[in-house]
Amino acid sequence: MTFLASWTRSNNITNQLIDWVARVPARVQTKLLIAFLTIVGLLIVLGAVGLQVLSGVNEQTQELIKLQRKIAAYRQVQHDTTKQLYNISTALVLTDDRMLDTALRQLSQFGYDLDRLEFVAKDEAELLGQVRREYDQFVGVVTRVVELVRGGRMAEAREAQLAQSVPLADRLERLTNQLVNTAEADMVAAIETTEQAYRTSRFNVIVFALGSILLALGLGYVISWSLIKPVKEIEARLAQIAAGEFTQRVSVANRDELGSLAADVNRTSEELGHLYRQLAAASRHKSEFLANTSHELRTPLNAILGYTELIQDNIYGAVPEKIREILDRVQSNGRHLLGLINDVLDLSKIEAGQLTLSIVDYSIKEVVQTVVTATGSLAAEKKLTLKTKIAEDLPTGKGDERRITQALLNLVGNAIKFTEKGEVAIQAAAANGAFHVAVADTGPGIQSEDQKRIFEEFQQVDSSSTRKKGGTGLGLSISKKIIELHGGRLWVESELGKGSVFRFTLPVLPDMREVQT
Amino acid sequence: MTKRILVVEDQEDNRRIVRDLLTSVGFELIEAATGEEGVRQAEVHRPDLILMDIQMPVLDGYEATRQIKAIPELRHIPIIVVTSYAMSGDEAKASAAGADAYVAKPFSPRDLLATIKQFLS
Repeated sequence: MTFLASWTRSNNITNQLIDWVARVPARVQTKLLIAFLTIVGLLIVLGAVGLQVLSGVNEQTQELIKLQRKIAAYRQVQHDTTKQLYNISTALVLTDDRMLDTALRQLSQFGYDLDRLEFVAKDEAELLGQVRREYDQFVGVVTRVVELVRGGRMAEAREAQLAQSVPLADRLERLTNQLVNTAEADMVAAIETTEQAYRTSRFNVIVFALGSILLALGLGYVISWSLIKPVKEIEARLAQIAAGEFTQRVSVANRDELGSLAADVNRTSEELGHLYRQLAAASRHKSEFLANTSHELRTPLNAILGYTELIQDNIYGAVPEKIREILDRVQSNGRHLLGLINDVLDLSKIEAGQLTLSIVDYSIKEVVQTVVTATGSLAAEKKLTLKTKIAEDLPTGKGDERRITQALLNLVGNAIKFTEKGEVAIQAAAANGAFHVAVADTGPGIQSEDQKRIFEEFQQVDSSSTRKKGGTGLGLSISKKIIELHGGRLWVESELGKGSVFRFTLPVLPDMREVQT
Repeated sequence: MTKRILVVEDQEDNRRIVRDLLTSVGFELIEAATGEEGVRQAEVHRPDLILMDIQMPVLDGYEATRQIKAIPELRHIPIIVVTSYAMSGDEAKASAAGADAYVAKPFSPRDLLATIKQFLS
């Protein structure tokens, strides 16, 4: 539990730290620059520390080398002294003149060594002073012995050798031993100091490196998150806006460019919400206008048609034949006008995207039968055969039954209207998840140039015939739009003189997302 | 017994057309020019059938139908709803309000008579 608690505590602290950094009113560029410069600074300091350690180690090494030289020099003196004695002793025994010369020469060599010694061991001044004094004495004695030997006074030479050279040599040896010991002790101490210094330096460097790494990581983490967090929040907010949610606001702690970005996003969201509301209001107004216009236009017209029909039905008394004929014309004009109004309003609704489809289950067979019933008398009047070929086991479709009926009615009505003799055949089948319906007539056929045009508003093949043939000229374009709203296609196959076939496909179950409402 | 029909319609011409038509075949007519008056007349006269226009100001035909059907003594009276243009959603709205039948304007007088006779035979 405590681990979790301390983890959440440290999370909180890091969050606070991130927010604190975010609140700093400096540009993003500046923050990043500071972060990088800090890391560079740490690297530089680390380098400096490393260099310092190296130079320290170097110093120690120099010390050790110096000591090494001292010891070598001291040992040389020892060696020389011993050699001296040996030579003199040998010379005394052998009375060899050559050896005496060698001895004298060695004395000067001894002198050089001593000089070098004094140079190397400047801090042992006192001891060296003693050594010098002994040496000088030794030189004097040896020279005298050599003279005595050369002079043939062997007994005196031997005595001088024994009585003076040897003890002097002993003393020299002791002195140099002292020097060597001191030097060696120094060496041991120096080595240990070096060891110690190395350990301390290593520890310092490791600690400093770790510290720098942690600091760099921490700094990098905090600064990156102070920049990433607002970006993520802004991105989430933008996703909401893209999905149509305009009311919320994003809030970030930053007071730099990201802060102003967030403020801009908020303003954009507000503006979009505003525009969206305006758009919705405008759309509503349009719908209300269409609905009102529809009502206002149809009301008086319905009264006209209603009264005329009553008159025709003799409700107000018998009507003379001539007047009845005229009333027929009044009625048909009225109905035509009503048809035009309905079509124009339908079309403007579709184009305003205002047409709501009322999706119900329907049977295409029933739709065909409704249309046949409605147009039967019309076909009979023109002595045309009206036949149907409906496939078995047609599935139940989903769509706006009334509108689909309207479209089929338009196609069949047109077929009957434009065919003078022969037949009109309606076929219905289903394949690949769609209904395939065809309305074929034995009429005059349609030229390829006109085949596209007839689907446009107020276009009939022969513009002059619009009045003669009746109809509003809008039916085909409305039918096409109705079928397209369901996700289907309407087209014509025709050749001049060979009749026409109007075909359409209608998805049995239109994709609800694609159905425009 | 003479069947009495209540016509609720705000447009005078439309009311007259219905009146002339129905009286010529022997129905007795009660008229109301607003939805509110329609509900009141229904309560007072207990007609045998109600012809209800939809597009009326203040209280529309759906609401008036709902109110009449909510009164237990009046629930049995058939209500035929008449609307100016057969909107695809209107049929559903009509039956949701409790109407028994639905007729679109412009109605052919013969069809209207046939529908009325259906309910009053």
